[in-house]
Order: sequence, then C-alpha cells, then structure tokens
Amino acid sequence: MVCIRKATVDDLLAMQACNLFCLPENYQMKYYFYHILSWPQLLYVAEDYNGKIVGYVLAKMEEESSECHGHITSLAVLRTHRKLGLATKLMTAAQNAMEQVYGAEYVSLHVRKSNRAAFNLYTETLGYKIHDVEAKYYADGEDAYDMRKQLKGKKHQHHHHHHHHHHHHHHHGGGCCSGEAKVEGKAGEPEAKAE
Amino acid sequence: MGTSLPSREGNLFKLIVKSYETKQYKKGLKAADSILKKFPNHGETLSMKGLTLNCLDRKPEAYELVRRGLKNDLKSHVCWHVYGLLYRSDREYREAIKCYRNALRIDPDNIEILRDLSLLQAQMRDLDGFVETRQRLLTLKPNHRMNWIGFAVAHHLNSNGSKATEILEAYEGTLDDDHPPDNERCEHGEMLLYKISLLEESGLLERALEELHKKESKIVDKLAYKEQEVSLLTKLGFLEEGEKEYRLLLSMNPDNYRYYEGLQRCLGLFSEKGHYSSDEIGQLEELYESLAQQYNKSSAVKRIPLDFLEGEKFQKAVESYIRPLLTKGVPSLFSDLSPLYDHPGKADILEHVVLGLELSLKTSGGYPGSLDKEPPSTLMWALFYLAQHYDRRDQQDIALAKIDEAIVHTPTAIDLYSVKSRILKHAGDFLAAAAMADEARCMDLADRYINSECVKRMLQADQVTLAEKTAVLFTKDGEQHNNLYDMQCMWYELASGESYLRQGDLGRALKKFLAVEKHYADIVEDQFDFHSYCLRKMTLRTYVEMLKFQDRLHSHTYFRKAAFGAVRCYIKLYDSPSKPSAEEDDEMSKLPPSQRKKLRQKQKKAEARAKKEAEIKTEESQASNASKSVKRHVKPVDPDPHGEKLLQVEDPLLEATKYLKLLQEYSPDFLETHVLSFEVHMRKQKRLCALKAVRNLLRLNADHPDTHRCLIKFFHKVGSLPAAVTTAEKIIWAAIEEERLTYGQLREKSLLEANASFFETHKDSLMHRAAAAEMLFVLESNKKDEAVKLIEESINEPLSIKGLLGPARKWKLIDCIAVHSVLEKIFDDQDAALRWKLRCAEYFPYSTYFGGKKCSAITKLAHHQTEETSENAGTVNPHATEFSTNGNLEKSEGSKDLAGQLHSSLVLS
Repeated sequence: MVCIRKATVDDLLAMQACNLFCLPENYQMKYYFYHILSWPQLLYVAEDYNGKIVGYVLAKMEEESSECHGHITSLAVLRTHRKLGLATKLMTAAQNAMEQVYGAEYVSLHVRKSNRAAFNLYTETLGYKIHDVEAKYYADGEDAYDMRKQLKGKKHQHHHHHHHHHHHHHHHGGGCCSGEAKVEGKAGEPEAKAE
Repeated sequence: MGTSLPSREGNLFKLIVKSYETKQYKKGLKAADSILKKFPNHGETLSMKGLTLNCLDRKPEAYELVRRGLKNDLKSHVCWHVYGLLYRSDREYREAIKCYRNALRIDPDNIEILRDLSLLQAQMRDLDGFVETRQRLLTLKPNHRMNWIGFAVAHHLNSNGSKATEILEAYEGTLDDDHPPDNERCEHGEMLLYKISLLEESGLLERALEELHKKESKIVDKLAYKEQEVSLLTKLGFLEEGEKEYRLLLSMNPDNYRYYEGLQRCLGLFSEKGHYSSDEIGQLEELYESLAQQYNKSSAVKRIPLDFLEGEKFQKAVESYIRPLLTKGVPSLFSDLSPLYDHPGKADILEHVVLGLELSLKTSGGYPGSLDKEPPSTLMWALFYLAQHYDRRDQQDIALAKIDEAIVHTPTAIDLYSVKSRILKHAGDFLAAAAMADEARCMDLADRYINSECVKRMLQADQVTLAEKTAVLFTKDGEQHNNLYDMQCMWYELASGESYLRQGDLGRALKKFLAVEKHYADIVEDQFDFHSYCLRKMTLRTYVEMLKFQDRLHSHTYFRKAAFGAVRCYIKLYDSPSKPSAEEDDEMSKLPPSQRKKLRQKQKKAEARAKKEAEIKTEESQASNASKSVKRHVKPVDPDPHGEKLLQVEDPLLEATKYLKLLQEYSPDFLETHVLSFEVHMRKQKRLCALKAVRNLLRLNADHPDTHRCLIKFFHKVGSLPAAVTTAEKIIWAAIEEERLTYGQLREKSLLEANASFFETHKDSLMHRAAAAEMLFVLESNKKDEAVKLIEESINEPLSIKGLLGPARKWKLIDCIAVHSVLEKIFDDQDAALRWKLRCAEYFPYSTYFGGKKCSAITKLAHHQTEETSENAGTVNPHATEFSTNGNLEKSEGSKDLAGQLHSSLVLS
C-alpha cells in the first residue's frame, strides 16, 4: 500500500507540504535542507501508490551533548493514511539508522501532553519512556513530555546479517556527533506528533 | 589589516573584527568609534563600522560608511572585501563577486576572500570560476581536507567527474593507513561513497564496484553501501548477485517498493508499463506467493500482484486483499486501489466484488462464504469504499446515496464527512462541499488535517475570509495574524490566489501568487550556507543532489501554478486596467499627455520621499528596540497587504514576461505555458514570439482545442494586418509565411476550411466543437448563429459501463462551464448561454454554477451553513450569489470568471 523509503532532496517540498497540512508545528524549507544535508540517513518518507508523500520522519543527531543520541524532530502521517502502521515503520527506520550509522545510545523526542494517540504509540508500540516534563514547551503554552528510548543492546534485532560488527571497533565518544557549526532553523521548537 | 594604525588602535581594530565574527556588535561599534575619534578618516575602520551596522539592520548607514571607507582607502583589500560582504548580505551576488575580485587584485592569496568568492561562484553556478578559485585555495593550503574536497566537487559540478575522482584519490594518498580516526569515520565513509558514485556516474562501473568492496570496512553507512552495491551489480549485469542483494534489502525493509522493482528487474520480470505475457504473469505470481510467505506482514507483497493479475485471478486476489482491510477499517483503501481504475476492466470487477461484500454484510452480517460475523463497522467501510468508487466513476448520485447510508450507520465517523465533501465538490456544489467539510472540522477541532481540508473547500467555494479565519485557528503566531506566509504554506496561498482571481480581485490574487514566487526565491537563497557547510560535513552526495534540485526548482508544481496565476492576472490587468483611485485618475485624464507625465513624475518623487521617511522610522524603532536588547526581531509592517500597489505597475505585460520566461525554461512541456505566451505576445504585437508559442503548442498537442484556437487566431490576425513596409517587417512576414507552409493543417486551405476540417475530425468532442465554433465566429463574425448551433448540436452521449446503475455521461462539468463562458462572453449570446445553462443543469443537478435542482443554493441542504455563507458573501463579494426571480441561482461576474480561468482562451486585444 505504502512505500517506506529513505527521503531524497526531491521529497523535501512534499514533506513540508505534508507537515503544513497536518501538524501545528511547522518549519521553513531551510530547516529541512539542514536535516538532510547533515544526516541524510535519518529522513524517511511514506509514499502511497499514487506517488504522493503521505508521511515522513525528520530526525537528527544531537551534537552538543556528551552522550551521542538521536532526536526525532518531526513525525507526521496524513489522517487519511492512519491504521497502516506507517508511523511505527517510519520511526523504526530512523531509529535503526541512528544506531547503525551514528552509534546513537538513545533517541529522544517531545510530545504534547494532550496528544494521547501519539503518546500511546511512543510508549506502547515503540518503547519510549517519559524522561522529563518540559513546562510550556509549545508556543501555545502546553507542556511536553521529554521521552527517550534506549537503543544500544537491541541493535541486532533488525540487522542481523552481514554486519562484520563494525560498531565494536569504533567508539562514539562524541564521535560522529562532533561539534559542527549549525545552520539555524528559524522554525522554533521542533516536535513530534503521530496520527 | 589596520596596519596604518598605531598599536593601541591596531588592537582596537582587531577587536572590531573579532566582535563582528562573534556577533558582539555593540562592542565592535564602541571600538570603531574610539578609533574614529582619533582617525576619523580611517578607511578600514569606517568599512568595518558599516559592516557592523549592517548586522544591526541599519542598512543606509552601513552602505554610506562602507563606501566612505572604500573612498578613503581604495588600495585596501579589507575595504573591498567588506563591500563585497555587504552586497552579499543583500543577495547582490554579481556586485559582490566584483568586489571580491578587486580585493584579490590587491591581495591575491588571501584565503578568506578566496573562500568567500568560491561560495558566491558556487551559488551563481559560475563553475569555471569556481574550479579556478578552489584550485588556488588547494595550492595555498594543501593540508586542509576541505580544500581537497572543494576542488573535487568543483570539477564534478563542472562536468568533469574523472578529474574529481583523481583529486579524491590524490587526497586519499595523503592520508595515513590508520585513517580515519574514530571521530571522522562517518565523514570519511561519506567521502568514499561520494567517490564511488562519481565513478558510477562516469561509467566506470567495474572500478566503482571494486573500490566499494575494497573500502567496505571504512564505509559506515551500511544501507547506503548495500544500495550502491546492488545498483552497480545490476548495471554490470550480475543479475544473480543482484537478486540476492535485493532479497537481503527486502529482509531489512519489506515495505520499500523499489526493492521489489529491482528484484523483478534482476529476474527479467519487469516492464515499465506493466505489460506482461501470460507466462510472465505466472512467474510473477509464483514469485510473490513465495515472498508473501516470507514477509507476511508486508502489504506490498499483496498489493503489487493486483497490478499484473487479470480476470478471475485478479478478482480472487483483490477480494482477499480487500476483506481484511475493510474489517480493520483502513480509510486509504480506495486511494490505494484507485490506480487500478485505469486498467481496463478492473473497475467493473471491483464494483462487482465490493457490491457482493456489501450485500452479504447486509444480509448475513458476514462475508460471503464465511460463518464468522463481521463487526458492524465493516459495512460502514464497505459503503465508504463504494461511495468513493461511484464518485470516481462520475456517478455522484449513487456516491452520495452510499455515503449518506454510511453516515446514518455511523454518524460519528469523521472520514465519512470528508469524503462526502469531496463528492459534493466533484458534483459541482462547492458551497455544500465547504459546509460539509466544516461539519467534519467541528467534530475534531484539534486535528489540523481536517481544518486544512475545510479551508481548501472554503477557498474552492470562494469564501476567502471565512477560510482565513478558519486557517488562523492553527496558525496564530504571537501577535502576528498568522504564520502561513512565514512558514511558506504554499497550497494555501495558491488556493486563495486562485479564488481571488476568480472573483476578479487582481491585487489580492497577485499578492498571493507573488508570495509563492518569493518562497521559491528564498529556497534558492537557502542553499548559500550549505556550500561551505557540506564540505565540512562531507555530505557530498546529498549536497550535489541538492544543487541539482535547485537547478530545476522552478519546474516544481507550486511555482508553475503561481506563475500561471500571476501571468493571468497581468493579462487581465492589461485588458482592463483598474482605476487605482478614481478622482486622481479623472484629474489625470483631463490633462494633456505631456503634463500628465510631469504629474506622474512628481507623484513618484513624493512616493519615494515618503518611503524613505518610513524606512528611517522603522530603523529608529528597530534601533530603540535593539537598545532595549529585545531580541525578538520586529517584522516590518507590510505596506501593501491587499496588493493594491501591485496593480499600479507601469507595464503589466512586461511583468508577465518575467514569469513567462521562467515557465518557458522550466515548464516547456505544459500547454498552458505556451497558451499564455501566445496571449501575452499577441498583445505585445510580438508576432514571432507568438508564432513560437503556436509552434510549441503544435509540438505538444496538435489536436488540442487551445492549439487550434491559437493557430487560427494567429494567422487570422496576421492576415488582417496591413502589408509590410519596412525591411524588418518584410523579413518577419517572410518568416511567418515560410512557417505556415510547414503546417499540414493549413496547407492549401483557407483558415475557414482548416477550421471546418478540424471540426469534422473532432466532431464527437464537445471542447473541440466549441473551439471550432469560436474560431468560426472569430473568422466571420456574421456567422454567429451558425457557430452557436455547432455548440448546441453537440450530444452528451451516455457512457456505456458494464454493471451501470445510473447513466454516466461523457461531458465533464468543468468543460461545460467553459463552454457556457464562451457562449456568454465571446459570443455575447445571452439566450444561448441561458439555454446551455438549463441544459447542463439537467446533466449536473448538483452544480451551483448551473443552478441544478439538487444544488445547495436551491434546496438549501446546507442549512446551517447558509448563514455563514451569506455573511461571508457580504464581506468578500457582495454579488457572489443572488437569486433571480424564478429561483434559479444566478452567478455574478466574479463567479463567471471561474469559467474564464478554466478555459484558457482569452479575448485578444
């Protein structure tokens, strides 16, 4: 029904359109460029049978903190395409890439306290836990749950083949997450939301 | 830098530079002022002060200081560099490049200036210059990784892939064996993948594959590795290995359709158009059966076979595909299957299958042949599917019956209302569609998707004010009215621009279309920061992909639609120039031309003065804000929120030409590009350009009604002009005559005969008949009645579809509206227009345009919405809807423009 694949630069305009159509937190194109030109492995799209982008995940690596970890900037699935497990598939793909390419220890995200559907997806299906509550995180004054999911240790579930165990001979003490000048997205605080 | 200063001031100067780099502008200003106290004419200090002020948004001062600095020290590379930076900050790249070049003349080896220049060259795609600059940078600093990479990328962009690979290999040669250190593994891996993709691009496939295998342990991104490997394997014809790789990739992600396609290719079982022999179909069936066992959770393995299976096998497969999805309640089922409606016969089978399921669910509560009871929602989802099915087959009556049945079944399911709204839109009842979408919206106010959908429907119904009020519920941004513009919400801007255009509000329409155009300019601009960023980040494959994306950015749909809209606005503006302010114009028109010109100049000067004053005011307020150290950027108030100033352009056709050029370059395969080009150039009397448009139309679709219109109009116009006098005119004349000879449809025929033969060839098509009728009238205005008859004698044949419940007919609503507009506007035959309207009201009973008996304006179906609608009509367009005495809905001018827009023919000047 829906193809899950890595996003290319050509998908970015459609991703932005998808975001603007269904989420309240929006970003200018430059922020999408910033993501794909920094971590091209961490953007995935859901493309329907007519070639339309009906969902995406936009993720990044946190470069400043000492513990290398990924962060979900934004996750969206069009209302018309719910009940297909797309959010789960998109999230899993991004999480795998964070772990495999960047050796992320964990992945974090923010979710509105009131967004029960998304909260359930993160806790029940994807194994996230509440790490903290950020008061008045959103522009409208709503609080956010700061959620985390530990990645290390589960890594061979999805990629058990052909790995030569590369992660073993390189350690990510800030490794790939080394501090690089950052292009500022003017978009305000990122957030994640599921159907 | 700052060398001519004593040491105390010299240090202060360094402080200015440092403060600028660390964005501590106030500190920098202070230092600059204390140097200037002693050396008021010190050029470099003046320049740096200007540059610092530029960062504080004090532009005019900045330019003045930078220019003064340069005047005082023309031999300083700092002054030239700063001047370049200033231009760069205003996106004046060509000027900036000139300044940098002057700076380099004084200090040819200045790394910083060279680097800045290289960024501009990349941005402007001055690729030869880019290569040259990157070469100098590498020569000067060969120990910098970035300089190697930059030089390689420059050659790659300049179409010299092999040179780029050489450079990268030379760079690798400079590295130690144990390279990379842990913290550079990702970057190094990306560089290797980039190099391999370069080899692939240069056709060196074996070397690419060899290199890939050799460097496997150094490539961190394993998925990219695999995808690169399989691409090379299949290109080299190693299909067995390719097959293995694709199966491996599928085990990692069984939802990636591209892997299935790749697998089929490796097995020799892929056809671009989906044409397979029965033997191949058998093999494909087997393949997907085995894949389905492996990946039982993947929906792809079940969906793909529906494309190649036929007849009974298709029926069986599609039924077992549909059943669980109806049970589960997957709302996208119809959209998922909709491509199958283009396969001959499959729509009938789908109808048969789902009707069968519906019947069984109604009679036994379960699926046919099953003892299990289905949950009640299954029937609702079956009805939901059928509604969309009949809508797709243009049987909106049945579609509405099905969706209403579903709503009675489960009145709380929002999706049902969304679909009902869409059906009403397709049936031509925009008001009821908007009302229905609003009902859906109210059922979940926290969901932006249904809010957006509702806004879209409101705009289609020309309820712009209401639409904006609704959109704002999600887009309020502090004190700002809404952030739709800031967030580049282009679908909204386009839809509202189109609505304004329909309503004849050209200023507001232009405002919206040009906003979209501005977003694209900003996106072009966005790439600037990445020219240096990506060289450091080493995301080179994606960087080059991004540059290529930028190079064809203007071919994107949103831009094209905005440009079409803007050009239409300018044409309309030219045809009926608006009166900016009535009295003033009156006054003007009384004056003789020479005085009018003077008055205009006077007005312009006054305007410029006012503008300058306004600038100073905003500056002051910004400066005071800055002093209060308020970080929030104060947005200047839009001086022209309704686009009134946009209407005051001197030469609308010149403005139109700007967008036409981009359309011709980036959307040359769209009919509308050349129809608009034709219209603009005919108005400008540029006959050769108009002829070029005709030629392009013939190339794209010689049989299209609009092509025919332009062709006939062109040669008719040319034929009615006085004979050529000047040499230039004679040359043009000869060129046109020569071209005419190459047009088969005009060979040895008069235009009238050509038109008759076009009619004869296409007499079964309404739109072709209408074009021929229109041209008959253009050629011989006394044949109006005959022409009208050609249209009125058209027959709307019933479509013969198997298993049909109600007869669908051939004509499309949108076409019938266009024909109505031809009768009304071009023929100016109100009786015929009315007859047409009454006739179409029968075919399209839901159409508000034709006042069909079932449309909301007649039946007041959307009762609770009518208040809002009329309220809205009062604010937006007081004449949007009015009832004539016989109760039929009459459309005002504004609504008729809908037809004008749908139908590309525009009256020639």
